[in-house]
Amino acid sequence: MTLSVHITTLGSAQRTLLRGLRFQVPPGAVLTLMGPSGSGKSSVLAAMAGTLASVAEGAEALSFEGSVYLNGADLTHTPTAQRGIGLLFQDPLLFAHLTVAENLLFAVPPGPRAQRQAAVQQALAEADLAGYGERDPATLSGGQRARVALMRALLAQPRALLLDEPFSRLDATLREQFRTFVFDHIRSRGIPAVLVTHDRADIADPTRVLELPHAG
Amino acid sequence: MNPLHRPFVATLLLLAALPLLATAALALGALFDADAWRALAQDPLWPRALGMSLWTGLASTTLAWWATRALLAQAFVQQRLARLLRGLPAMLATPHAAFAIGLAFLIAPSGWLLRGLSPWLTGFDFPPPWPTTQDPWGLGLIAALVFKEIPFLLWTAATQLQRDDVRQRWRAEHALAQTLGYSPQRAFDRVVWPQLAPRLFGPLVAVLAYGLTVVDMALVIGPASPPTLAVLAWQWLQDADLATNAQGAAAGGVLALAVLVCALAGRGLQTVAVHRARQGPGTRGCPAARSPIQPVRPEPVEGLSNTSACTAPGLRQAQPERHRVNHVKTPMGAWLLAAVYAAVLLALAVGSVAGVWPFPALWPETLTLQAWASVWASRGTVLTTLGLAAASAALALVWSVAWLETAPRRWDATLRPLLYLPLVLPAVLWVVGLYSLALWLRLEGRWPALLLAHTLMALPYVLLALAPAYTGFDPRYRAISDSLGRSRAHFLLRIKWPLLRRALAASAAVGFAVSVAQYLPTLYLGAGRWATVTTEAVNLAAGAQRSLTSAYAGLQWLLPVLGFALAAWVGRPRRFTVAAA
Repeated sequence: MTLSVHITTLGSAQRTLLRGLRFQVPPGAVLTLMGPSGSGKSSVLAAMAGTLASVAEGAEALSFEGSVYLNGADLTHTPTAQRGIGLLFQDPLLFAHLTVAENLLFAVPPGPRAQRQAAVQQALAEADLAGYGERDPATLSGGQRARVALMRALLAQPRALLLDEPFSRLDATLREQFRTFVFDHIRSRGIPAVLVTHDRADIADPTRVLELPHAG
Repeated sequence: MNPLHRPFVATLLLLAALPLLATAALALGALFDADAWRALAQDPLWPRALGMSLWTGLASTTLAWWATRALLAQAFVQQRLARLLRGLPAMLATPHAAFAIGLAFLIAPSGWLLRGLSPWLTGFDFPPPWPTTQDPWGLGLIAALVFKEIPFLLWTAATQLQRDDVRQRWRAEHALAQTLGYSPQRAFDRVVWPQLAPRLFGPLVAVLAYGLTVVDMALVIGPASPPTLAVLAWQWLQDADLATNAQGAAAGGVLALAVLVCALAGRGLQTVAVHRARQGPGTRGCPAARSPIQPVRPEPVEGLSNTSACTAPGLRQAQPERHRVNHVKTPMGAWLLAAVYAAVLLALAVGSVAGVWPFPALWPETLTLQAWASVWASRGTVLTTLGLAAASAALALVWSVAWLETAPRRWDATLRPLLYLPLVLPAVLWVVGLYSLALWLRLEGRWPALLLAHTLMALPYVLLALAPAYTGFDPRYRAISDSLGRSRAHFLLRIKWPLLRRALAASAAVGFAVSVAQYLPTLYLGAGRWATVTTEAVNLAAGAQRSLTSAYAGLQWLLPVLGFALAAWVGRPRRFTVAAA
């Protein structure tokens, strides 16, 4: 279950954000992509998840040339829905019209009703949120929302996980707890993960860091 | 604060609220007439007429709602919202009656639809004796309503989707749902639509109320025996016998009740649907990616075949992503909508100059300007239309600007529900109240009565169109102007209104269009003494003068379009003569 990415060029019609980026992430490992804002690090994640078109529209629309392989399978032109690559954004993006439990249920693959509900309850317990299922997501604290967002991403059983500055909105204490929470889950599932950040304190594994140059 | 401020706002409030409340009260008062209800109960026609109203109103509203959802889903998924919305202004400006007349001409036995298919496919050398223009099943009316209401619903949805914060958030949620394995279409159904639909409930009720109570369209293209209840009520209202008039008002009361019941039922249905969707089975609408943790269970895929539902648009083969954007096509549904409007307008344009036109020729043998000559001969009709529309739009605009400029927010919020009265009360009932008011003011049959009726109708639309831009005006401009020692009048005349020129012109054009389209109030309050292009078009539609009808219906479309064009010209951005270095 190795993730390997090769980006020849990435950018919009007007400008190229980056070129010649190549990396591999083995199962259970977390690669950290570092770079200043505007260096296109979030766009690298979007290219891997297949959501580049959602980032910007019209003339600013981004596209890339290159390839994304997961476990030897070419995913470059696979629709997002079929890639099996989970994405955790800076904002938790919990669906405002659903309860906490319904947000989690949304991610559980189809199956018998009782089994799906059980998966949701287990995820709530894992996130230390047992009993919070019927709550409105807006009533949760920042740290709780972040944990729900991670559990939601994991419940869909992704084969790889992308993290787009998921710690930047949390204060120092919460940040440390949530970091451990996230990395533990990634290791225990044995899936490759890519973390994007501008903060050295977030680095998951000092031996796996990639610095992006400033866009030129 | 200026000591005259409060009295001024209070006067403004009374100016609008008094006639609105008086009309509503008089209309509802007409319902307290036991004899009228007894007469209605004994009438053999009305139950079937009510059934026809419910059928046409509910069917057209449901179809328009579904079509809107499908068009929006496709446009959202393909990121083609802007293109979907491009043709909307022309469609919205098309008056209901003009559209119905054009559509009736298209689908009539001698219309273009059958001419196009004859005789090679149908074998007809003469128009068949089909009841296609006023079919007894109400299908023509339903079609006309559906095509007319889709642009309205799309436009109200667009006002939500074009807010940057909302759109970006929904785009992000839509993308996130896809990373969880949902196909783009299913992600829209489960994440975007459940958040959008509740915001469209108000407009949906307006569509429903219109469909259940419309008179002018039903006269043109609706069934005749029995007609819809609104048409029947209108016939009773025009009767010389006062008791029959009262019976018509009672039928209007029944319609008001029907609107209320249907709206409540719709609310209930929506709640149930939303609740069920929340607990949905989690089907992704496409095959799941393989999971390392546990084997994927076989899943039933509903509806569309896997490949078409899950392949991103323009990405059917492995195309490089770079080319993706240029290859997306405009959705079929959007083309169909635009094509119907184009065909309707073309039918009116050609119809108005057609002379001899034997079946099944696609083009008239002779062209004549006779119809337009008779329009010119009775140009007083056009002048009446223009005068009423310009005056009522101007009054509504002046009032709206004064109100938004001076009224506290709380007052504004209180007034809004009152303003919607003419939109939700059936027109047949509303004109009863208006007529009583005009009688009391001794204005019946006179121009000021028409002006009052048209202004009250234009007012809510003008205020709704103007309010977002006007209340969203950055208050810091005022602070800057004040700090420079300028008076308020100077600020309004030199800064605020010039900056808001576009919104002001556009909302005046909306009021103008609303006034041009008025049928019931014009006939009823004018006691038949005043003719506008709309009353002429609808009244002529019952007869056989195809070219004259087309000319008036075309004019009915042309006047508001000219109004919008003028507004666009007035509101054009300033051209600076010196270009940037």
